[in-house]
Amino acid sequence: MDAREDILFRVRVALGRTDANRPAAAADVQAAFAARSQGPRPQLGADLLARFRHESGVQSSSVDEVATLDEVPAAVARYLAERQLPQRAVVWPKYAALPWAQAGLAVEARAAQGDDAVGITGCFCAIAETGTLMTCSAPDTPAATSLLPETHIAIVPLSRIVAGMEDGWALARAELGELPRAVNFISGPSRTGDIEQTIVIGAHGPYRVHLILVRDC
Amino acid sequence: MRSQAMFFKARVGDKLADRVLQENLGKAKSKFVDARARAVAEYERDEGADFEALREAGKEIRNRTLANLDVWLETFEAKATERGGQVMYARDGAEICRLVTEIAQRHGVNKVVKSKSMLSEEAALNQALAAAGIQPIETDLGEYILQINDNEPPSHIIAPAFHKSKEQVAELFMRTHGSSKKSGIEEMTREARETLRGHFLSATMGISGGNFLIAETGSVSLVTNEGNGRMVTTLPKVHVVITGIEKVIPTLEDFATLMRLLPRSATGQHISNYVSVLTGVKGADELDGPEHLYFILVDNGRASLVGTEFQEMLRCIRCGACMNHCPVYQTVGGHAYGWVYPGPMGSVLTPLYTGIANALDLPHAATLCGQCSVVCPVKIPLPELLRGLREKQVEMDLRPWSERIALRLWGWVARRPKLYALATKIGVRYLNWLADGTDRIQVLGVAPEWTRGRDFPAPEGRTFRELYAERRTGQGR
Repeated sequence: MDAREDILFRVRVALGRTDANRPAAAADVQAAFAARSQGPRPQLGADLLARFRHESGVQSSSVDEVATLDEVPAAVARYLAERQLPQRAVVWPKYAALPWAQAGLAVEARAAQGDDAVGITGCFCAIAETGTLMTCSAPDTPAATSLLPETHIAIVPLSRIVAGMEDGWALARAELGELPRAVNFISGPSRTGDIEQTIVIGAHGPYRVHLILVRDC
Repeated sequence: MRSQAMFFKARVGDKLADRVLQENLGKAKSKFVDARARAVAEYERDEGADFEALREAGKEIRNRTLANLDVWLETFEAKATERGGQVMYARDGAEICRLVTEIAQRHGVNKVVKSKSMLSEEAALNQALAAAGIQPIETDLGEYILQINDNEPPSHIIAPAFHKSKEQVAELFMRTHGSSKKSGIEEMTREARETLRGHFLSATMGISGGNFLIAETGSVSLVTNEGNGRMVTTLPKVHVVITGIEKVIPTLEDFATLMRLLPRSATGQHISNYVSVLTGVKGADELDGPEHLYFILVDNGRASLVGTEFQEMLRCIRCGACMNHCPVYQTVGGHAYGWVYPGPMGSVLTPLYTGIANALDLPHAATLCGQCSVVCPVKIPLPELLRGLREKQVEMDLRPWSERIALRLWGWVARRPKLYALATKIGVRYLNWLADGTDRIQVLGVAPEWTRGRDFPAPEGRTFRELYAERRTGQGR
């Protein structure tokens, strides 16, 4: 017997599966998918922005705020200059058209490579409960841009801040239909505690995560 | 990995005598415990947030899929296949090794980057890959440290190098990387980052475990802080997921609930830095992501727990809270347990997955203080399961003859009240004589083994029955 049949056979025997009780099991699966019932959730109150800002700090992300998308490049240039980081970056193709050059930045819209120092992305939405970015992969929003560079800068429209992960899933179902290849929830820079349980920032991913909140977009 | 659990007692002796290990364990032990307590308290500051209710919900989610595991697996399989994944099954470690090697060879892979997978430890996959001429690279910092130390086994499921000090890691890095010796943890982390970055960029296959399989969408979820889980599933053209058949959960909403439990229970974080939900393969126009996705769903003993008194163990979400809070684990560390999983969850899983007769000491390596079940995010009654395994040992006649005779003798005496009263009366006086006027006995005459590493408390004076009889007749002191 092949491994699949063998394993499933033993599970079925252990569960007492019969033709008679199989429809009830299948019905439970369908009921779960139909209900998509949520577990207990914290009530965050009305001010999701304040919560998002606070939790982003807990996750060691820094936060800036601008009025419009067109102001983002200047905010990026300012951030990079303050930290004496190179004024060049790789950006999601989705944001290729922002006025990067005007802000003095050399920005390329392509897949990130191992030696790119700065990666600029947006997000699908942002989760106030934990200060988390939810990103969805697509041709114009590749996953590696938020991962390979030492500095990750993310554009977060205020209109896209939701309370919890459940709200992010609801948005994804409504806007995307089915899930993209990669949904990444990103909460601050990469870290490790594997040596003496001491937290060190910058394990394999970025050392810095900087969020630029955008009021009108 | 071949279990060494039968050598538990001998290993415990070594671990207790290992001064460096004891110092490392002493430094580390309270960190996870304090972090979890803080995280639970912080969670409950929000309106309507009750961690106990969350644990109950976590338990119900896991029970739901286990109750109809066959149908949930088929549902996951259909959905994952529809999205371009290939679902395979493995009965045991040998089958895992065979499947992974075949996949690597099919795609002409000679180097594999690995995110943490405890199942690949169960299978000793690294050794099998190396034997087939395929270089496996562990990329979780803890796992990497152990791999370059001659494939040392992990001592903790989420912090594999829990038992190592930074000095030991510094030595190891100097020896392996041929670099100058570092003293700071940050410098060492950077050195590992730079070494591993090259491997991430050049490997053509990534292997990961899976924290959960989501039936609704056919996805696998990965939870990491370092970002290595994302690297191995974004850059190489082949991604192989190795995970247990019990990991399936129904919906994305259920995943959201479990993600409120897992990081808080494991490291005390509100959420881990990187939580990925991966579905299918790279689309034609996408710039990154694997072109081939394989799921290897593994039994290796799990199916035999379904429908038994031990089924509750299959709810485990591998957070490590039980070992973090276990006084035995805190004292002896993870290696003493002899197989992949240490602490209370290991003391249940090792005998069940590798044979009850091969791990006789583990169910007894517990004080049954109950702390593990208090912190378990999915409410696994670990002390009851350990007790159940002790009962199995008795039923299977696996206890030593001396213990069996002693218990039979005790049972025989206990059924004869007068004899019992006399025996305990003599016993108490014998113990008092051994204590020689002090409150402790340094060498217990009839069972000297008991007092090899501790004293035995001396009885107060007379037996309970004597005191009780005295009080009944009104002669109480």
